[in-house]
Amino acid sequence: MKLDTSIYLLDWLFILKGAGITLFLCLNAMVFGSILGLIIGTMRTSKLSILKYISGAYIYIIRGTPLLMQLFLVYYGLPVFFRIIVSAYTTALVGLTVYAAAYLAEIVKAGLQSVDKGQKDAAKALGMTSWQEFRSIVLPQALKVIVPPAFGFFIALIKDSSLVAIIGFIELTRSSRMVISRTYQPFTIYLGVAVIYFVICYGLSIISQKYFKANRQDIPKASQPWKTVAIKVS
Amino acid sequence: MVDRNLILLELKNINKSFGNLHVLNDVSMTVVQGKVVAIIGPSGSGKTTLLRCVNALESIDSGEIVIENKRVNPKSRNVHELREKVGFIFQAFNLFAHLTTLENIMLAQRIVKKRSVKEARERAFSLLRKVGLEDKANYYPSQLSGGQQQRVAIARALAMDPKLLLMDEITSALDPELVSEVLDVVIQLAKDGMTMIIVTHEMGFARNVASRIIFMDNGRIIEQGEPNKIFNNPEQERTRDFLNKVLNHK
Repeated sequence: MKLDTSIYLLDWLFILKGAGITLFLCLNAMVFGSILGLIIGTMRTSKLSILKYISGAYIYIIRGTPLLMQLFLVYYGLPVFFRIIVSAYTTALVGLTVYAAAYLAEIVKAGLQSVDKGQKDAAKALGMTSWQEFRSIVLPQALKVIVPPAFGFFIALIKDSSLVAIIGFIELTRSSRMVISRTYQPFTIYLGVAVIYFVICYGLSIISQKYFKANRQDIPKASQPWKTVAIKVS
Repeated sequence: MVDRNLILLELKNINKSFGNLHVLNDVSMTVVQGKVVAIIGPSGSGKTTLLRCVNALESIDSGEIVIENKRVNPKSRNVHELREKVGFIFQAFNLFAHLTTLENIMLAQRIVKKRSVKEARERAFSLLRKVGLEDKANYYPSQLSGGQQQRVAIARALAMDPKLLLMDEITSALDPELVSEVLDVVIQLAKDGMTMIIVTHEMGFARNVASRIIFMDNGRIIEQGEPNKIFNNPEQERTRDFLNKVLNHK
């Protein structure tokens, strides 16, 4: 009997479904990673040295070890230490979240530190509490600095997430390997998968460029008279 | 001696060091309700630190700050009460960069004073009218000139209904031709009876607006008194020396 090694539409649809799962996984990891990263990044700028050291240790350990090791440790560690058996999806999500939080915490820290000290003085002088100062003055200004690189990290995370294929979670990379194992056409499939990754990442970076350009000034165009002047002059 | 009930702020033997640097050395002074005190002196003499201590933006090492007969404890929650009573105008304006003029003036009214949107808005507009910037309500700080930003900062501080305004070299960061528009606002405030402590290098302005001048050097109050006395007939050699340098530079 001759082996059927041709690639069918259904194979590509299966791979595309994997792409959807990759996006879903990364989106979730980004949401949880952002929450955790915001907390850890804020701890990093705290005046309390214990918070500073705990958050610092977290950031350095996670950033100083390969994502693959972290995924293995979550995969083999959770059942051993916590006596729970979790799905491949949960393992992948926990692993990527832990990883994303460390990088996002550094971005958050830099963002918080970029806010001018005078802004905080002014908030205090008006009688705001520390929380009001953080919530209404520091965070909104820091977010403008945080969001663009955080979005850049999101794009990188989508590429890095291909590693979770190794622990058996069926996302874009893993699903393509399953198709390859039947069709024996690795080059064509991997090329297709690379194109899919590229389309996702490039698409996202286009969106981010447009969005952040529009938001950079935060000022409606009509109220920027000097801009019109500048255009007329040139 | 003034009536004790008229004393709004009293500083008793304030000491403050940054590491080995003794920035405030046993500083004592009183500010009477409705009066303007101007603090003059060379850079690094502790004028700004003194103002920041009054508003608890810096902690003091020893001494007492008494406002309206209430002792301020920098570690307790009454710091916020103090800051509601005492407004601060900064050299670098420090308007909230992400908020419009109107929002800058409304924010603390809303979240600190818990005023309604309508009330906060009306107050903001009446203050903008006062500083002559009603038409700039929807501009962001970066769209305003330095003088305009400083006038907004004054309006923002006034919106909290302070009993005392602290002004820290509020015209030092301005282009020379913008200085007068800010000083005019301050002069108007003085006429309205606002109590103020003004740290300034504008000697003519200090002389006109203040009822008392304090000369500081090296963290100490060297001499204080009425403007005429300090400017025409200072007792201390150091004061004379300083005034000669700043007044005769032409």
